[in-house]
Amino acid sequence: MSHADALHTSTGLDNRKLLMWLFLASECLFFGSLIGAYLLYRGDHEVPCVAGELSACVFPTDRTINGVEYQGLFDIPFTSVSAFVLLMSSVTMVLALAAIQRGNQRGLLVWLFATAFLGIVFLSGQAFEFTEFNEHGLSLSTNLFGTTFFVLTGFHGAHVTVGVLILLSLWVMAARGRLTQEKSLNVELAGLYWHFVDIVWIAIFTLIYLIQP
Amino acid sequence: MKLPRLSTRTLVLLSLLVLLAAALLLSGCGTSDLPQNTFAAEGEVARKQRDILIYWVLGPAAIIFIVVEGLIVYAMIRYRRKSDDEVPTQVHGNTRMELAWTIAPAILLLVLAVPVVEGIADLGRSPRADALHIRVTGLQWRWQFEYMDPEYANADGEPLRVFDEVHIPTKREIGLEILSADVLHSFWVPRLAGKQDAIAGSTRHMWLNADRPGSYSGQCAEFCGLQHADMRLTMVAQEENEFEEWIQGELADDAGSGPGDSADGPANGPEDGPANGPGAPAEGSNGE
Amino acid sequence: MAGVVTRPRPTSILEALRGVRQQAESYQGIWSWIATVDHKRIGMMYGVTAFCFFLLGGVEALLIRLQLTTANGQVLDPDQYNRIFTMHGTTMIFLVVMPLSAAFFNLLVPLMIGARDVAFPRLNAFSYWVFLGGGLLMNASFFTGGNIFQGELGAPDGGWFGYAPLTLNRFSAGEGIDYWAMGLQILGIASMASGFNFVVTILNMRAPGMTLLRMPLFIWMTLATSLLIIFAMPIIAVALFELLFDRLFEANYFNTLVGGRPLLWQHMFWLFGHPEVYILILPAMGIVSEVLPTFSRKPLFGYPFVVFSGIAIAFMSWGVWAHHMYTTGLGTVANSAFGVSTILIAVPTGVKIFNWLGTIWGGSIRLVTPFMFSMGFITMFIIGGLTGVMHSIVPSDYQQQDTYFVVAHFHQVLMGGAIFALFSGIYYWFPKFSGKFLNEKLGQLHFWLMFIGFNLTFQPMMVLGLLGMPRRIYTYEEGLGWEVLNMIATAGAFFIATSVLVFIINVVVSVRSKERAGADPWDGRTLEWSVPSPPPPYDFEEIPEVHTRDEFWHRKYVEDETGRMVPIVAGGALQEEEHEEEHQHIHMPSPSYFPIIAAMGLPLIAAGLIYWEWINMLPLIAVGAAMVVVGIYGWALEPEAE
Repeated sequence: MSHADALHTSTGLDNRKLLMWLFLASECLFFGSLIGAYLLYRGDHEVPCVAGELSACVFPTDRTINGVEYQGLFDIPFTSVSAFVLLMSSVTMVLALAAIQRGNQRGLLVWLFATAFLGIVFLSGQAFEFTEFNEHGLSLSTNLFGTTFFVLTGFHGAHVTVGVLILLSLWVMAARGRLTQEKSLNVELAGLYWHFVDIVWIAIFTLIYLIQP
Repeated sequence: MKLPRLSTRTLVLLSLLVLLAAALLLSGCGTSDLPQNTFAAEGEVARKQRDILIYWVLGPAAIIFIVVEGLIVYAMIRYRRKSDDEVPTQVHGNTRMELAWTIAPAILLLVLAVPVVEGIADLGRSPRADALHIRVTGLQWRWQFEYMDPEYANADGEPLRVFDEVHIPTKREIGLEILSADVLHSFWVPRLAGKQDAIAGSTRHMWLNADRPGSYSGQCAEFCGLQHADMRLTMVAQEENEFEEWIQGELADDAGSGPGDSADGPANGPEDGPANGPGAPAEGSNGE
Repeated sequence: MAGVVTRPRPTSILEALRGVRQQAESYQGIWSWIATVDHKRIGMMYGVTAFCFFLLGGVEALLIRLQLTTANGQVLDPDQYNRIFTMHGTTMIFLVVMPLSAAFFNLLVPLMIGARDVAFPRLNAFSYWVFLGGGLLMNASFFTGGNIFQGELGAPDGGWFGYAPLTLNRFSAGEGIDYWAMGLQILGIASMASGFNFVVTILNMRAPGMTLLRMPLFIWMTLATSLLIIFAMPIIAVALFELLFDRLFEANYFNTLVGGRPLLWQHMFWLFGHPEVYILILPAMGIVSEVLPTFSRKPLFGYPFVVFSGIAIAFMSWGVWAHHMYTTGLGTVANSAFGVSTILIAVPTGVKIFNWLGTIWGGSIRLVTPFMFSMGFITMFIIGGLTGVMHSIVPSDYQQQDTYFVVAHFHQVLMGGAIFALFSGIYYWFPKFSGKFLNEKLGQLHFWLMFIGFNLTFQPMMVLGLLGMPRRIYTYEEGLGWEVLNMIATAGAFFIATSVLVFIINVVVSVRSKERAGADPWDGRTLEWSVPSPPPPYDFEEIPEVHTRDEFWHRKYVEDETGRMVPIVAGGALQEEEHEEEHQHIHMPSPSYFPIIAAMGLPLIAAGLIYWEWINMLPLIAVGAAMVVVGIYGWALEPEAE
């Protein structure tokens, strides 16, 4: 993991960077599987119900939860804003990397913090949405939609949380002057991860929120 | 270190022994009339499944094994190191041979695909119009059979229901609807047909027939919990008239004991009874 | 960890970390193993641990065989039987064959590509400790069923394949399945960590001149396996998460009562599970491809074809998963497609076998134990492959599916295949890492006992399957014609057990013997034989320069005028043990405690989650999470080498 490694690797690519790319490739399969399960069940508009009332079984495309009519499960404008926030955080991430590569410590501090902050805003939005759904009676165990929705978006949220922790750790390092220009790879790696998580959200947002059956 | 002595004779003897043992073992399948012997097929489906294996695969596979293994044993004996400083010619490969042993097996194997696809299509067809329809439901750990044809409905219009032992007429095709009330099971009567899994939440179909009257035993083939080994069943094939006699008797008994009676219900089925579970799933919901 | 506690209060985190690290370096004995990041030590720990699990899984196998020896066996009750066969399968796959392969990756990859260590030595240590923690957690489930001494077992009872919905709370009460899912999840982390590590190591750490097509075949197979691990493991991770959410938090993924589909589990499990089969067998193929050339004194026949057939197998393994599911009723189109793809995967497998035959053909063969085990592998693997083709005959597979025919088939591949090859590797490389030979006579005894025992055990099972004996049944009645064959199989199992005992005796005897193996006892061809046995911590005094495939062989032999290979007489390129002092300049990564701290946090979190509803397990989860966080931060912040 030492920085000297980059000088004499067989491919010329730094070990850690190669590791991060492989990790992200692997993550594609992880989110792919979760999204696959969601899509599989989304097709089931009227799953035959063996026990309990019908509403418990139906994927809530008919806008019912526990038999109560509910106009529009998703608040599209709200989620669009939070998706936009996450997208913007990718921009600030790029600016943070540009700053450290130019040796601009002040810029690094500002943009790292901005990225983490936008991440936290997104997470707050998700927390609000989860609470909101929960108050309408949708939980992990309500029906297939509850299960697939909460697990998929929850795992994405967990990834964002880890990203925020990494960003904040880097920020502390930077604030103590330990994140110098020659260590810009750290920021680059965090950036790769962050952009990936961002792209995954675009996929989830499109598939769950925008293309509803 | 000393080179271990492994004489040519020992190796040849050993390989002969192996072949002999294999032949002996396999011959067991061909001749015996054992209750669940897949090679002692007594129905069209089981026969087709056995014949594809025997005619298309077992023979060629045995030949390939003998040839390749023979070459290996030959090479081991022929090319043993004679002295410690001998260095053989350093052969790195031969592209023509590589192409040969890539393309030839590929062609052979693709030929094999023909009976496979043909067999899948044939076994996967729907049962004939005049078939007897039976709904099979796997329960932990029993088999429930319902005669779905209207003429075998009891006084309440409910299908006649029996457990673990089911009677069928010979020489008539049987169309089976297979369901599960709880976990996964797999319906299997080896001498009549290969298996079809019973999937909770959806219905599966298969057909079979029996050539001759007889009692054919089978059992659940998908692990389904504690008493999986005891989830056995018997398919009794009878001549058409005997079958008719039997089923009329059952219907009479059924009327005698009253509707919804669970006297012969499963001893250890789920609490909501077998009727709830399998009844609801929609037909043909096999989107998986 | 004791070191961490007893230190005086440090002034800053970084200083504390440095302190721990220095102490780690000064530790001797067991602490030097706990903190080690040396790939050879980690490899040995992997190997020894996996072998212990092998014994455990073997005892489970013997119990299964004892129960089935006669009709109406009384050795185990159905509950015990189900738990034991579940643990046998899970143990042998995830705790034996995979980690034994990982042991060889660890031991050999840096030595074979001319590197001093792997790309991420601490990640490597982390991988081992996570594996150990996961294995122990999984087996701890045995104690959750009540009084284990009265035969009340608590292990998982859903089979290694864990088909939903049998694994849901409704059908499997108790914590067995939770331990199983959590254990597999943790083991998956271990596999992924080593998978990433070896891909990066192989791609990035090769010695100058070691181009991809000069890499030893074992390295190629390691690369293919590691890539399969990286891409297959996330799928099973998601499936296990879904199962765990269903079990622990009442989610509905597999709940058929509200429309959950059991086949979702099967698709995900086998989408992981079939690449997994090749994760188990490709390293074995790599080992055999190293052993045969050495003992035939010939290069591997058709090297590029063996490499590309391995890659082809790795790719095709993604397109055959549904052949485990023919009888689930996927429909004629799906069954035909998967039938044909399964038929075709036999082609690259055949290519490998023909090339191995080409390798020994015309060679100068030494029939020593490692070679014999490799030949045992090929023989059994041919049978395994041919029976594999039988399974692609979909209509016939409707009969064979879930019978002892399948049990026989995959034991041909995984035991006759993988385990034989792994033993071949153990006999081959034992001198390299211990400096001692394994006794040849005992080795031959081990091989023949195991080979005969194996055939006695598993060939009758093929016939049993054709005679209609299903898998996973704890008992059977008389009159089905299965008694004699089952008795033979049980006898065979005890042959195998005896052979393993012979192996253990062999190791003990050999380690105590005075005879020393030199650096190159077998006249090897690859770089690991160019360094002393056992290799020094830094592997290579000087990073070698590679000019050709089979580099080390070409340092020993040259062509004379007639084109024949003759040994270079004077001195050769062998070791230079005299200049010990000059190694001071070689910087090796420092030992570290953080991998084990982070790794041991995971089973604690898992245990906390399993019991979260039962009592308040938050403290346990918090401690586990704290260990993970401390471990990772310490790891990231400590300087890697002085």
